[in-house]
Amino acid sequence: MNWLDGTVFVTGATGFIGGRVCERLVQAGARRVRALVHSTHRAARIGRLPIELCPGDLLEIDSLRQALADSTVVIHCGVGNARGIVRGTENLLSACREGTVKRFVHMSTAAVYGLTPPPGSETEDAPLRLTGDGYCDNKGRAEGAVLRAGQQGLQVVILRPSIVYGPYSSWSTRLIKDLREHRVALIDEGKGACNTVYVDNLVDAIFASIENDRAVGNIFFITDGEAITWGDFIRAHMAMLEYKEELPEVSKQEALAYYKDRPGVVAGSVKAAGRILRSRELRQLLLQIPVAERTLTAVWGRMQSLPETRQQKIRSRVGVLPKSFGPSKNGRFIPDEIALATQTASVFFSIEKAKRILDYRPRIPFTQGAALVEQWLRFANYL
Amino acid sequence: MTPNKIRLGILGCGAITRLEHLPAVLAHPEVELIALVDSDTDRAHALAQSRSVQCQVSADYRPLISQLDALINALPNSLHAPVTLDVLRAGVHVLCEKPLAIKASDALACGAMAEQQGLVLAVGMNRRFFASHKLMRLVLDEGALGPLKSYNCDWGGAFDWKSASGFYFSKALAGGGAMIDFGVHLLDSLIDWFGPVSAFSYQDDDWGSGIEANAIMELQHSGRYGLVEGRLQVSRTFPLKNRLLVRGGQAEAEVNIADLDSLIVRRTIGGEPVCQTLRLSDAKTSSFYKQLDNFVQSIRGTQKPEVNGAQAAAALQLIEDCYANARRIPEPWSEVPSEIRTLPTKVRA
Repeated sequence: MNWLDGTVFVTGATGFIGGRVCERLVQAGARRVRALVHSTHRAARIGRLPIELCPGDLLEIDSLRQALADSTVVIHCGVGNARGIVRGTENLLSACREGTVKRFVHMSTAAVYGLTPPPGSETEDAPLRLTGDGYCDNKGRAEGAVLRAGQQGLQVVILRPSIVYGPYSSWSTRLIKDLREHRVALIDEGKGACNTVYVDNLVDAIFASIENDRAVGNIFFITDGEAITWGDFIRAHMAMLEYKEELPEVSKQEALAYYKDRPGVVAGSVKAAGRILRSRELRQLLLQIPVAERTLTAVWGRMQSLPETRQQKIRSRVGVLPKSFGPSKNGRFIPDEIALATQTASVFFSIEKAKRILDYRPRIPFTQGAALVEQWLRFANYL
Repeated sequence: MTPNKIRLGILGCGAITRLEHLPAVLAHPEVELIALVDSDTDRAHALAQSRSVQCQVSADYRPLISQLDALINALPNSLHAPVTLDVLRAGVHVLCEKPLAIKASDALACGAMAEQQGLVLAVGMNRRFFASHKLMRLVLDEGALGPLKSYNCDWGGAFDWKSASGFYFSKALAGGGAMIDFGVHLLDSLIDWFGPVSAFSYQDDDWGSGIEANAIMELQHSGRYGLVEGRLQVSRTFPLKNRLLVRGGQAEAEVNIADLDSLIVRRTIGGEPVCQTLRLSDAKTSSFYKQLDNFVQSIRGTQKPEVNGAQAAAALQLIEDCYANARRIPEPWSEVPSEIRTLPTKVRA
């Protein structure tokens, strides 16, 4: 039976990737698509589609059993909070094993190697290590859970995309907003590896992972296969905005020196801190409050005094909590720690394995993807 | 005979009741809250408790109906018309949330029933109670803009309404998406200002569920100001300009989402562009309070409902016609890759 004639279950369906997966399933003529919806109020985009919206929560296994119904294929794009990444994936895998699910495509991330992947992580066989970043490490742990379920008989495929962009992507909407607010700097001349993947190329890879039996049990990097740099990515958005000014340039060394005597990292006892501090708006707000600033300073000092291995363990549990950022003394904009880590990557991931086994061919090159994003941004009133 | 205090029940204890209707009812000196009704009585109890309200809680309005003079119907859309009809039939005045019905014919039936029973049916178009609505009417009547040319009305933002039941994404329960949800407010205002719609074209982004997130409409009104053309855009996914701009031969008027109690008029004096912000002198109270007060005074016979069944039906008929004649908004970015054309672009990688 063609998989499109069965029931396909999508998690993270109200998000950017899951939303596009649902659209593409409808376009492909999928007979029955069931989308897990945690927050109904975020469902406006997929609410347009002739699919079933199933209320549920990755952290509540009973709701998953009910939502899965007779699904034979699961596309797991859901993330949730830091705890949800691992627990949610484990819950979903358990529910799948009890049910009728055959194929499970897991949306992982190239960031399992950290925000700045070390040289040597160009191919999928590079071993995972703790990176000190909660998101990255938990995504790595979730991969482990998926592989174990694979050993127990579920047909699993793991995809590791990197910078997924396209219509509705916050990479683009945020960048446009930041450019307008003069909050973008070119780090190290914008030479960092961006590893873009246009969302439709990723969906092609997802569909190939379902259609191709040789994919089972495998992990694949998925990118556009072009050596797009952060400079390319940022300049493409500048062109959309007709942004004429020169971007400020910042070196990694300069940014690190700037951070060195700035507080901003909160350690483990406050469970919610990771989530709070991942929100840039809240982070900025917190730092405007003197008490919060003092607390952050104290905890930062305490954290700094711990041995590096302890620090890394704590960070891995609660997430790297980005340092404060803003204009430096000479008025230049200094990007935050996450931007710095992401945009100073040097590794371009190889998609040779995906080409060989999945027969993956990225159909939308970057110029075309950026043009589609531009069209959407205009429609959506961002430009 | 009208009692001293209007004995009122609220039907449906979801977000709009919690945020707007209940506070308005509790603040109104001429209203006594008799009951909160919700099929989920836990939700109704929790709401009563959160506001320290002493009233009955029930899963069904029918056993209570003899104790009520009036009822606010804030149920999911599909229940607006049938329950309103039932309640009017039982002799109780109704303030019904918008849209009064999913089909215009049902809205008309509700209006006819109210008339037949000699009862008040008011429709919850709370936007009418923002000062900008009245100010626009005054400015237009005064001819302050000169001969009217056209208007643009953009209203949109990421949908964030924390509906208790989640009915918004069911065609059967909601009747549609962005248009019937808040487009109905805008159409109601536009028809009220510029007159009946004589021609229109309509597109939306419904892919088959019947719940559009974006809609674009070109309209032509033929009313007391002659022919007025306009464009309406609503979105549940993107922030739009969120303003209404009316262009006349001598001036333009703008209503901004940030301040619905004012109207900005722009014109030139002696070649210099000038800008005036108009306000009404009455105290700033919530639109839902004013709406409730209009309902109460209508029951007392001193006012008429700002929006009755027939007026609600006019906007709903237009929405029904839109849905029946909808074209899809072109979404080249959504076409499947093999069909994606190479597009002209300023972008160079």
